[in-house]
Amino acid sequence: MSTVTSPASVDRELAAIVGDGNVKRTDFEINGVVPAAVVYPSSAEEVGAILHLANDRELVVAPAGGLTKQQIGCVPERIDILLSTTRLNKVEEYDPGDLTIAVQAGMPFAEMQRQLGEHQQWVPCDAASLEHATVGGLLATGAAGPLKSTFGHMRDFCIGIQFVTADGKVVKGGGRVVKNVAGYDLMKLLTGSYGSLAVITRANFKVFPRPRQTRTFACSFHSLDEALQFRTRLFQSPLTPMCMEIVSPGASEYLSNQGTVRDPDHYSPEQPISLPAVEWQIVLRATGSDNILARYTRELGSAVTRTLEGAEEEQFWEWICHFEQSVLARHQNAMVLYTHLAIQNVGPALQALQRVAPDYNLIPAAVGRAATGNLVLALMPLSVDPPSAMQYANCVSALRGMLPPGSSAEVAHCPKEAKPHFDVWGTTPTDVKMMRAVKRAIDPKNILNRGRFIV
Amino acid sequence: MDSSIIRQLRKIAGKEAVLDRPEELMLYEYDAGVDKHRPGAVVFAQSTQQVSQVMKLASDKKIPVVPRGAGTGLSGGAIARREAIVLSLARMNKILEIDVPNQRAVVQPGVVNLELSNATTKFGYYYAPDPSSQKACTIGGNVAENSGGPHTLALGVTVNHVTGLEVVLPDGKVIELGGKAQDSTGLDLTGFFVGSEGTMGVVTRITVKLTKLPEHVTTLLAIYNTVEDAANTVVAITQSGVTPAALEMLDGWMVRCVEANVHAGYPEDAAAVLLIELEGMRETVNEQAEAVSAVCMQQKAREVRHAKDEKQRQLLWLGRKTAFGAVGRVSPSYYTQDGVIPRTKVPYTLAEIERISKHYGLIIGNVFHAGDGNLHPLILFDSRDPKQTENSRKAAKEIMACCLKFGGSITGEHGVGLEKMGLMTAMFTEDDLEVMVRLRNAFNPESILNPQKMIPDLHFCREITGPLPKAKFEPVAGLPV
Repeated sequence: MSTVTSPASVDRELAAIVGDGNVKRTDFEINGVVPAAVVYPSSAEEVGAILHLANDRELVVAPAGGLTKQQIGCVPERIDILLSTTRLNKVEEYDPGDLTIAVQAGMPFAEMQRQLGEHQQWVPCDAASLEHATVGGLLATGAAGPLKSTFGHMRDFCIGIQFVTADGKVVKGGGRVVKNVAGYDLMKLLTGSYGSLAVITRANFKVFPRPRQTRTFACSFHSLDEALQFRTRLFQSPLTPMCMEIVSPGASEYLSNQGTVRDPDHYSPEQPISLPAVEWQIVLRATGSDNILARYTRELGSAVTRTLEGAEEEQFWEWICHFEQSVLARHQNAMVLYTHLAIQNVGPALQALQRVAPDYNLIPAAVGRAATGNLVLALMPLSVDPPSAMQYANCVSALRGMLPPGSSAEVAHCPKEAKPHFDVWGTTPTDVKMMRAVKRAIDPKNILNRGRFIV
Repeated sequence: MDSSIIRQLRKIAGKEAVLDRPEELMLYEYDAGVDKHRPGAVVFAQSTQQVSQVMKLASDKKIPVVPRGAGTGLSGGAIARREAIVLSLARMNKILEIDVPNQRAVVQPGVVNLELSNATTKFGYYYAPDPSSQKACTIGGNVAENSGGPHTLALGVTVNHVTGLEVVLPDGKVIELGGKAQDSTGLDLTGFFVGSEGTMGVVTRITVKLTKLPEHVTTLLAIYNTVEDAANTVVAITQSGVTPAALEMLDGWMVRCVEANVHAGYPEDAAAVLLIELEGMRETVNEQAEAVSAVCMQQKAREVRHAKDEKQRQLLWLGRKTAFGAVGRVSPSYYTQDGVIPRTKVPYTLAEIERISKHYGLIIGNVFHAGDGNLHPLILFDSRDPKQTENSRKAAKEIMACCLKFGGSITGEHGVGLEKMGLMTAMFTEDDLEVMVRLRNAFNPESILNPQKMIPDLHFCREITGPLPKAKFEPVAGLPV
């Protein structure tokens, strides 16, 4: 169904839209596929013109921001245009009094956060790689970190959105006020749509006062059961921690600076690593005055094995947020899954991980939101036995098979060679046929991220 | 309505579950808003299967269906056109499951909002969204409208509390969106569906989050000699770093109106009062109460009262929650607005409403969610007087124009429905609306469900959906289109 178009003629037409200097070649690979051209529009209208052209010619377009999450998803057949939003990088409106901000999609999140920080405000999102990740990219991938426990994720802060549909229409949903039910909630639809429905060009957020003081309490347990019982007691207590993370014994290794870490790639049966960390941890981050933090100390009592404050605390959460990156930096063949679980299924999912991993010669590690069921599961191969593609496939299928009904677990990272052998996205409780109908409604020619997402 | 349709509806839902006599249908020709139309029939579904069968029948015969909960909506969302079937979900009113360990409840759509909280408080949890009509309105209706309420300032509106839906599509097919998990792989159709005002599908089962009851709650009543000082306080509190659980404002006229009705203890000579609720850990609440009181006094509050006990607290809230009813006692008709403005524009907008009130010689009472800039001006008029009726509409339009001037919204929580459909073009372009129509058509391709609601019938709608009778669409004078 794809039209053969000579790249040179497309390049010329793209250059006519964005200017000569803004159409480039790249060697950036998306699961092994190199986009034919990268184009850097400077306005929503230019994005519209590019998509209009692409839609006409049925060119496959991959929207891109900071390139931090492009490897997620299935191996694309081809990518004709990598549409970079990095020139759309301005704050359009920020009124600290209203606690709202409007920014262009290509703005690095950290830059927006810095500007908000000048007024002691923030958008409470602590996903990974925020220096590079763009506002649009974080929305498109529905990215989140430990703060999700209290604040929710991007969909919960995004109060307005502007995007360009596959046929080049510049469209908006929502507005600049914090409460608004006029029209369909397109913010929810686009958050987590992985660039498969439209190219996000601007987003409006509600922002929050930044907590002035925090303290972190790490609590260690000999077993997963004990950790989860502690979690239940927390749910029943009046305490309202801002973050509640569960850390598996294997994960501690990746919550430190790289230099100090032993590398499981060097693991071999003759030289077993004696893992010092065999304990499960529940880590809480509380916010409030001295008085309130003192109450946490009092009520948590002897459960606390370590209290962190200041720079040490910041560093710890930085590690938690970058757990996945830290795993991948050390094991390029590791597999990472993101789970969506009911609260009580956190235990069964972690047990499943611990049980399944050794069957496939993989080492398990997990970090995640104990209160929302969003876990990051990592499986690291042993260097003595590089896994085959089928090993990943079988492991994923075994793991998913052990998850309670209603759970979903998508593979966020694994070697691209393994991806064709299993379903990267997996099953989901939400009707997939309906998702596809929605996709067809606004991208009938399937030009946006064709073959990469679930739709 | 065709008697064979009535017969078939009776076969699906039972003889007693279908109304078709004019005197019965009259009761279903209105909601809590201003529009009225008599439906062709009313059917009370008792199960998902019955909903599915009704939808299948309606689809086959091309009869429009309007889903309805308690009929407390303020925008005409549950109003049928003539010959439409009103599908009432009010009898699907069972709480199916209270799952405390997972902090979820699974309910049928006809469960009354407050009943869910009442059923869960014994476990230490409640259902947070609390529209003022919570004693009557249903959770299914809340899902359709993405309802808010005073306590959504800190905790979010309905969409932030719904994780799973069972939906019957117009052709009778039953689909699942989400479940008990916070979210799931793939498109967030659950979030997208909430607030679709019955134009995408009929919700037959809802999984909602339960929220832990706070350890401590306190309510402050700040009393002002001028509306302006109260409005400035709203801005100052927002900027102070405290997010109250609720931050409500009543102007002097409303205060007197409420006092005459329920004796909530508001001072009758005040120009405005703020009702501020703080909740959370005891220490947090106490500290915040001190900080907020200080802000109020700085902004020239005459007095800040703390509710001494739960009884006083409930009384203060009774005043707020019965405000609309109180207005009903003094005026034959009133017209409720639902505009939203950026919070810093509250003082200016209230002054503007005051001007509009004087200009048309109509009383406009203000009782609203000040913390998130969601205004509810109540325009009082006598519907028997055509001049007053016309002026009330003009005043409403001017207020809306003022909200939109500041980048606000035409509706914060009441929905677009029939009432505000004509205003949609003031907020959205044709392209915006066309994309919304395309998305709706993915669910509801033939506009069987709740036709001619929410999105005005511009020319493109017909191109896509085939011929449809034209909806009333009046452009608003003075607004950018």
